[in-house]
Amino acid sequence: MAEVKTRKVAFPRYAEYSCAFKYIVEQALGCKYVMPPALTKRTMELGTKYSPDFVCTPFKTMLGSIIEALEAGADTLMMTHGLCRLGYYGELLEQILRDLGYQFDFINLSEYDMSKKKEYIRIVRRFNPKVNYARFLVQFMEGLRMTEYVDEITAEYYKGCGFDASGGQYKRAYQDFLTAMYTAQGRADVEAGYRAAKRSLQSIPLDKPQRPLRVGILGEFYTAMDAFSNLELEQKLADMGVEVHRWMNVTNQFLRYGSGQKNLRVKIQDLSQYDMGPTSTANIWYARECAERGYDGLVHIKSSGCTPEIDVMPVLQTISTDYKIPVLYLTYDAQTSDVGLMTRLEAFYDMIDMRKKVL
Amino acid sequence: MEKQTITIGLPRALLYYRYYALWRTFFQELGIEVAVSTPTDRDILDRGTALAIDEACLSLKIYLGHVAALVGKCDYILVPRVSNFGRHRNMCTRFESTPDLVRSVFRDSGQSFLSYEVDEEQKKTEEDAFLDLGKRLGCPPKAVKRAYKQAKKAEAAHHKARVQRYEQQYKRDGLKVLIAAHSYVMEDPYMGRPVTDYLKRVGVIPLRADMVDRDGALKKGRELSPTCKWEISREILGGIAMHRDDVDGIILLSAFPCGPDAMVNELIARRVKGVPMLNLVLDSQSGTAGVETRLESFIDIIRFQEGKL
Repeated sequence: MAEVKTRKVAFPRYAEYSCAFKYIVEQALGCKYVMPPALTKRTMELGTKYSPDFVCTPFKTMLGSIIEALEAGADTLMMTHGLCRLGYYGELLEQILRDLGYQFDFINLSEYDMSKKKEYIRIVRRFNPKVNYARFLVQFMEGLRMTEYVDEITAEYYKGCGFDASGGQYKRAYQDFLTAMYTAQGRADVEAGYRAAKRSLQSIPLDKPQRPLRVGILGEFYTAMDAFSNLELEQKLADMGVEVHRWMNVTNQFLRYGSGQKNLRVKIQDLSQYDMGPTSTANIWYARECAERGYDGLVHIKSSGCTPEIDVMPVLQTISTDYKIPVLYLTYDAQTSDVGLMTRLEAFYDMIDMRKKVL
Repeated sequence: MEKQTITIGLPRALLYYRYYALWRTFFQELGIEVAVSTPTDRDILDRGTALAIDEACLSLKIYLGHVAALVGKCDYILVPRVSNFGRHRNMCTRFESTPDLVRSVFRDSGQSFLSYEVDEEQKKTEEDAFLDLGKRLGCPPKAVKRAYKQAKKAEAAHHKARVQRYEQQYKRDGLKVLIAAHSYVMEDPYMGRPVTDYLKRVGVIPLRADMVDRDGALKKGRELSPTCKWEISREILGGIAMHRDDVDGIILLSAFPCGPDAMVNELIARRVKGVPMLNLVLDSQSGTAGVETRLESFIDIIRFQEGKL
């Protein structure tokens, strides 16, 4: 029997979830994971150069990240399916990369009927025909748990980091946590990293006012969550002294509400009768939720050309009018600059800060 | 009791161009009057542009203009939600969002809207949607069922007749150009019409990639792009696969910034080789001179290559 070569798998960098991809590929699938380099301006330049002009920006980011992963030694690429244009990313990415002359094996989930359980086994076998299924299941679940921990700690971090009185310990605790997740080899490492982070974040003293400014972040599934893509919007807002909240993450969108968001739609029947796109129900629900909880403002994030999020905007405008809650609409493309964003954020901050003092 | 007639408004944009035979027959059979907005003009485009988020596609802007033109002139305006006809047979997400989007935009107008939902992945078929629609309009179920049947027949006959007309065109002598575009781009007086008008004026026969047998095209489209998930794009891909050897050139015509076209047209350009191709993206220009210049040079290139210039 011919020896099976261990695949060197890569998936484009995506927020802080790359640690979970790495964990699942290495511990569950028994392949090697090639971590693409952190996203930089070079990534964007590479991606933009070879992408069609008005495709959504995450396509360009992912293309750049994949090229960097191939340069780093990956031989197997994976692309997901999806409900919007994301579902077509795979085929076009592959065509562009092949036209450029790259050689690799491509596992495109859009080619499989993901509503059938049998297909999942086929996919797992493609990664590694000799996979141990018992181990796969256990470690896959552990990878999902890591995802939940990343989301939980990240949410806690952005709520508190703007009020750190210890001179940087809060941020260090978060970074230590990420390091632990990126280097975890097994369940014990994951649990230990999570507990240490939880303890640190709770014990570091915060200098938080009684009623801090609270801002809810919502928007498109890639750009709203990926700090590089949104130019670290959450950190920038937090650094101004804002409690930053975001519901949208993998845990909430998929692990908890994977099978439809019917229970979220109950509260927004009057605003949205149907799903308007893959994340519309969650975003509209969350916008109203923030408004009803008396948050001081909302930031709606999307990449240039994101059809579903453009279509949600009229509904958000309705919520903004009804509840008198300011909404900052941000569109990111490959050229969006740090300085421009800062100016808009400062103006937004000044405005909600003044409103809070007057109202 | 006197029976009041209901009037339903049909905005002449987006899905209207795909479904007008179906919609008109269905409502006619039920004795419901139909009011269609007038063809797109500058006023409709400007009103739609003012109502839309500026990043929305030209087709949606025009659509909102047509809805605005109907507001107050009918009992209901029909705004359906058409999500998909099964796996890899999706519509652009914009067709999922239009009902709620329109309701939000026209919230203060007092206008009533009527919607039906086709989402076969959630087991919501077109037939069920129409039966439910008829029921909500107060028509007896039997009549609704008959009306839907008639409407489906009319739709099929209408499309077949058009396909046959285009098939005849392929047999004519002369320079033939295949245009790949959504029907609402192709047939709109502000988008595709100036293109076909110009081509005819200079003696070129314009053909349409979407004017083919739809079932055959869906299958054939797979050859060009196995995972393409958009129904209309798949039909267009199929049309190109069927007729690429029968034409002298292909024009990829899309409205700025069409989501599916941005990706599918890139793929077509990379996979369909050996035939001159023009990628033309339309925005709300005030004149046709720019478009005509590009068409003129494209036609010149084809004629030059064929040694006819």
